[in-house]
Amino acid sequence: MIRPVLVRRDRVLPATQSFGFVVGILVALVLGAILLWVSGNSPAEVYERMFDSAFVGTDSLSRTLERTTPLALTGLSVAVAGSMGLWNIGAEGQMMAGATVATGVAMMADGLSGPALIAVMLASGVAGGMLLMLGPALARSHLGVSEIITTLMLVYVAIRVVEWLQVGPWKDPGSLGFPRIEEVPGQASLPGLFGRVNIGALIALGLLIVFSLAVSRTAWGYELRLAGSSPDTARYAGVSLRRKVLTALLLSGGIAGLAGTIQLTGAEVRLTPGLSNGFGFSGIIVAALALMRPSGVAVVAFVFGAVQVGGQSIQTLGVSSAISDILQAMILFGALVAAVFFNYRIRWTGPLGESSGEEIEQLEPAVEEPDV
Amino acid sequence: MASENADHAVWLRGIEKQFPGVIACAGADLRVRPGTIHALLGENGAGKTTMVNVLAGIYRPDAGEVWVNGQRRSFHSPADAIAAGVGMVYQEFRLVPTLTVAENIVLGSAPRLLRSTEIEERVAELSAAYGMAADPTRPVWQLSMGERQRVEILKSLWRNASVLVMDEPTAVLTPGEAAELGAALRAMAEGGRSVIYISHKLDQVVAFCDEATVLRQGKTVATVKDLQDVDLTSLAEMMVGSSEGGYVDRPPAVEAGPEVLSLQGVCALNDRGLPALTDINMTVHAGEIVGIVGVSGNGQKELAEVINGLRRPTEGRVTVKGRDVTGASPGDLYRMGVAYVPEDRLGVGLAPKMSVVDNAVVRSYRSQRQGMFLSISKCVKFCQSLVERFSVRVGRLNDPIAGLSGGNLQRLLLGRELAEQPSVLVAAQPSRGLDVQGVAAIQGHLVDQRAAGVGVLLISEDLDELLALSDRLIVMFEGRIMGEYGPDVTPRTILGSAMAGKAPK
Repeated sequence: MIRPVLVRRDRVLPATQSFGFVVGILVALVLGAILLWVSGNSPAEVYERMFDSAFVGTDSLSRTLERTTPLALTGLSVAVAGSMGLWNIGAEGQMMAGATVATGVAMMADGLSGPALIAVMLASGVAGGMLLMLGPALARSHLGVSEIITTLMLVYVAIRVVEWLQVGPWKDPGSLGFPRIEEVPGQASLPGLFGRVNIGALIALGLLIVFSLAVSRTAWGYELRLAGSSPDTARYAGVSLRRKVLTALLLSGGIAGLAGTIQLTGAEVRLTPGLSNGFGFSGIIVAALALMRPSGVAVVAFVFGAVQVGGQSIQTLGVSSAISDILQAMILFGALVAAVFFNYRIRWTGPLGESSGEEIEQLEPAVEEPDV
Repeated sequence: MASENADHAVWLRGIEKQFPGVIACAGADLRVRPGTIHALLGENGAGKTTMVNVLAGIYRPDAGEVWVNGQRRSFHSPADAIAAGVGMVYQEFRLVPTLTVAENIVLGSAPRLLRSTEIEERVAELSAAYGMAADPTRPVWQLSMGERQRVEILKSLWRNASVLVMDEPTAVLTPGEAAELGAALRAMAEGGRSVIYISHKLDQVVAFCDEATVLRQGKTVATVKDLQDVDLTSLAEMMVGSSEGGYVDRPPAVEAGPEVLSLQGVCALNDRGLPALTDINMTVHAGEIVGIVGVSGNGQKELAEVINGLRRPTEGRVTVKGRDVTGASPGDLYRMGVAYVPEDRLGVGLAPKMSVVDNAVVRSYRSQRQGMFLSISKCVKFCQSLVERFSVRVGRLNDPIAGLSGGNLQRLLLGRELAEQPSVLVAAQPSRGLDVQGVAAIQGHLVDQRAAGVGVLLISEDLDELLALSDRLIVMFEGRIMGEYGPDVTPRTILGSAMAGKAPK
């Protein structure tokens, strides 16, 4: 009996991945067209509106870039940890922690001038994100506790802390009883570039370039990749795994904290429990689609942002918000599925004894390395 | 055909299996009669684990037939093998620590709609029937290693396994528990089941097993119909065997140079925290090859790791060229001139998913910098120089290194270690699994290094290789040095006895 078997590719080339990404989105758009047609909308009209509102004109582009900025930063945060094989699932929480510390610092340092205050807030935002990551990072590097669980759990801690602050110690006395925190001082707003885009976008772009070079072109990045790809080889080469795990996770937390602070000082006016707005979780998808490469994160975050902006805009055409959400989810899902699918290829195998020397991907983790 | 095989519980026939870079099995056979305990013997890498993984449905052989209980089988998954009556007990147990003994045993094959007390009763009956005491209500995390192993065996019996495969079962057991295991296996064999028993502990093999199959370099080299007829020494000799030759001969001894490596009273623990090295004293001089003889698992791996800084000794001193380097990091030791070709080439020595270039600079990436960046052109140039000097056959330098053949992997690895002219080279199983050409190339390099004044510590399970290359032989058994021998004046039988733990006369 000849049957198909999925075989994992030895190596996923960025070109293959990009192709898969595009194919996935196209397939999803076709399926989405059916969905729109069935739900009584005109697919052509809806898609045209989506495209226009995401890409055409300064205002549209600025909306897309406004979304792209936090997605790129959280995507980078996840990718920095991911390039060492670590999963920071809690960028959402580190965003909140960064914004919280930055708000606290702004409250204490109200005498500072604009640029100085912004710089101090951004730096303290990085520190806040690192602070929330400190526990998971130490637990992972010294005790081997899974960072996936600890970083995720701290998301809810960070959000609850903000909820407590807004009804408790940081409650705005001038809020007429509303539970909310005072606005950050006006001079702390990030300078705008055009439309809704502020210099946060440039900071994100700069960081992407810096990390892209650091990971691929420096000795530090080489050690990081070696440790992520083959920990025993890294140890053999004299790399301290503990220190590498610690730095990768702390940097990841710091970048997410910066993302939160840029949201606080750019897009928002005050710290709220909803500030992180799912950007931290979306960052996981962004990084995964970008194969944990900082260079890929920029592109994926841009597409992701465009889908969100376009998806929301079609509600003005009378497309219900539920259909719009489904459509957005389908596009991202299509890209994800295609990306995974392009990691594999189909091989037709005959009965036992006729297969080639390649190993079949086992679904069970019971596969042992050969003792050869 | 079926009638011919009816008297075999298991017949693995002409099994061939290749992994990227290594030939694991090259037409190996294994026949196990019902109601017997059958030992599967061989050095590490002889193909034992591959053979049983084929039987367990984890690997599909490239060629060969699998017969179980007189029927030809083609397993597509471990579930197929379990359904055919093959039970595996791995060295690392696959139990859920938080579940109870009974829950672990029935996991995945529990009868539906049965109360847990009833399941516990049935499990208790089963364990009583085979004399394997195990309280079904206790959670597994509370159990000792011996008890956990019993749970694994009971799990296979619950699934009605007619063939039980035990991979190195006594490694985690106390001597008392090992004796109990022997009795339990005997009870199973008397009940008509068969056991395939993989172990390096030859005394236990002789005590527990009826028959034996010896594998060497992926082939069956001997079958023993009655283990009572053979002694430990000849079993040890069968495992290390005498090959068809083709070994590079070392040129006559030059005068020994100064001491480059010495170990004084070194003790170390293994990964399980048990003593692996006890009071090791040895020296290696410039320009000599010192061979470490021994059946694998007798401390060779830990010895290599201690010397290379990957494992901290609990006692004793390591010196390199007279400097105390005890507890130095692997990177520091390399810079002091200690090079290491680890036993696990792909996984320790090389990072399989990274490119050929990335792997070539594992030792030297710090010196391939230009300003703050790694210079890609410098890295590539360095890699190309290794490829040329050590005649490595490679495709594209940016492809993952896992695509190279075993011989080429080893050439690149050895070349990288030799690039900065070390004074000590520790080579663990450097020629294992390679084809004739590869073996000759690697051994040639070792002899060249000796001539260049490097002190070489050669750890191998291939006695012929050790006899051909070494100036001195040191035999290790259970983490101790049994003695030192001259390769040209020592009969194999003496070495065989020492390897089996018998003190030399």
